[in-house]
Amino acid sequence: MRLRQAPTTPPMAKINVTPIIDVALVLVIILLVTAPMMSLSDLPVDLPGAHARDTERPDFISLTMAADGRLALDEAPLGGLADVAPRLRDRLAARRDTNRLVVVRADASLPHAAVRRLLDAAREGGALNLGIATSQISGGRP
Amino acid sequence: MMKLRRGFEMDEGPLAEVNTTPLIDVSLVLVVILLLATPLAFESSFGVRQGDRLAKPGVVEDVQDRVELAITGENRVEVNGRSVAVEQLAGALQPLFASGASRDVAVSCADQISHGAFVRVLDIAKLNGAANIAVAEK
Repeated sequence: MRLRQAPTTPPMAKINVTPIIDVALVLVIILLVTAPMMSLSDLPVDLPGAHARDTERPDFISLTMAADGRLALDEAPLGGLADVAPRLRDRLAARRDTNRLVVVRADASLPHAAVRRLLDAAREGGALNLGIATSQISGGRP
Repeated sequence: MMKLRRGFEMDEGPLAEVNTTPLIDVSLVLVVILLLATPLAFESSFGVRQGDRLAKPGVVEDVQDRVELAITGENRVEVNGRSVAVEQLAGALQPLFASGASRDVAVSCADQISHGAFVRVLDIAKLNGAANIAVAEK
């Protein structure tokens, strides 16, 4: 009986950790990039276009109003306009930053009166810095 | 000497394949980051103040040197009481800002005007030099 010949290559002594580190770093980068998006509501909003850009702060609180009037504070839906001020006050208190920018993301088709009521409610909720969200248009002037 | 060289060539042959895995990995990461960051890069905002009231004619107020815009229609706006088309707003604002007057602007808007038309006026005002914009009530 002939025995099988042992392989000539030595057994692998080290585990190659490069792929796992690579994948872990990719996950960290994806989480870092998607973190700001998680705070935006997924309500469908067609933001008005604008060429100028003004307030640039990554850490803002968003107040979203869809074309059908549905509201959301960051990613959380709101029952109505009456909920805006108390919920926003709580959110600002939780972040311990009353100067935090509050951006109103309102659909372009909404009447101005509805947006103004939302701005009033935001101010009533303690928002000192208010912004109106726009969709950036690049190139050309209006 | 010749013998050594031949031995080396037989033991370790030339590298035949380039390892493209790291390159593909990094490329995919860049693609994912670009895909996720694109919507954020195209969203911006205007800073506004809220709740001012427009100066009434004949009433002396300390805000009288600011520019007052009143949006009266989807395509009409009053600049300090003078009605112009939105397309002519830039031309109406530039001499006002160039004269060294205040760059503060108070914007009021009729209730039924769309938010898109309102932002369009803010955009033109910003592009032509408005520094502070207040959303005013009529």
